[in-house]
Amino acid sequence: MSLTAYDCAETIRRLNDYLDRELSPEEVEMVEAHLATCEHCAAEYGFEQVLLGEIKAKMAQATMPEELRARLQAFIAKARD
Amino acid sequence: MAESVSTIRPFESELAMVLDTAYRVALRYTRNPDDAADLLQEATLRALKSKDTFVPGSNFRAWFLTIMTRLWWRMAKKIHTEVDVDAGEEPEVYLYQQCRAAGLHPETIDPARTILAKLDADQVSAAIDDLPEDYRAALALNLLENLSYQEIAELLECPIGTVRSRIHRGRNILQRRLWAMVQETP
Repeated sequence: MSLTAYDCAETIRRLNDYLDRELSPEEVEMVEAHLATCEHCAAEYGFEQVLLGEIKAKMAQATMPEELRARLQAFIAKARD
Repeated sequence: MAESVSTIRPFESELAMVLDTAYRVALRYTRNPDDAADLLQEATLRALKSKDTFVPGSNFRAWFLTIMTRLWWRMAKKIHTEVDVDAGEEPEVYLYQQCRAAGLHPETIDPARTILAKLDADQVSAAIDDLPEDYRAALALNLLENLSYQEIAELLECPIGTVRSRIHRGRNILQRRLWAMVQETP
């Protein structure tokens, strides 16, 4: 089945769902077809993709205190015995 | 019925493996390291006590996060409320637009990395912590655990459309706050 190609607005509207892999295979195909031909939308997509990756990386820097880790591991070890 | 060693070991191994990311989610839920530690400890003890309810082979991470999320609701005396948020659901690509206006063109520079490099992890976390509770929870599960919208909906006991809306709006608000922080950073 051939679908009408997405324009810029339709592509940007789906940007979050595309980044989160929440689109149907047909929608993914349509978004990617548009990104392959539209420099502006491709730049916006590239920006959002890097931004999300940077935010995730910053959030992942929070580390569990060693004292808490030791306490939890002791609970787990006790349950294992 | 006594469980065999072979079924007990994977359970505790799985539990040990989810603790690091669960701690980060607990931090975003509670916005406080002491409360996050209490929440994670209570969830761990609860999981160990109710391990018989876990179906081997099913999604352990989702099972554990469900326990922790229910506990958080109880700790926070959480009541589901719809928040009046000044943000649309469609991507505003706000930061992208601001970067372009500021002369950070993607053709010549990597603007997303450039502006995020100006903020440390604590500042990014503070921007997320400033979001309304329901948005913060959905976004934390989305960004830290990479859960699907359906998995988040089951965890937070709300329709998938609500999760989608909270994540999309949450990102729009977050982008505005991050830009404001960048502007305030010398």
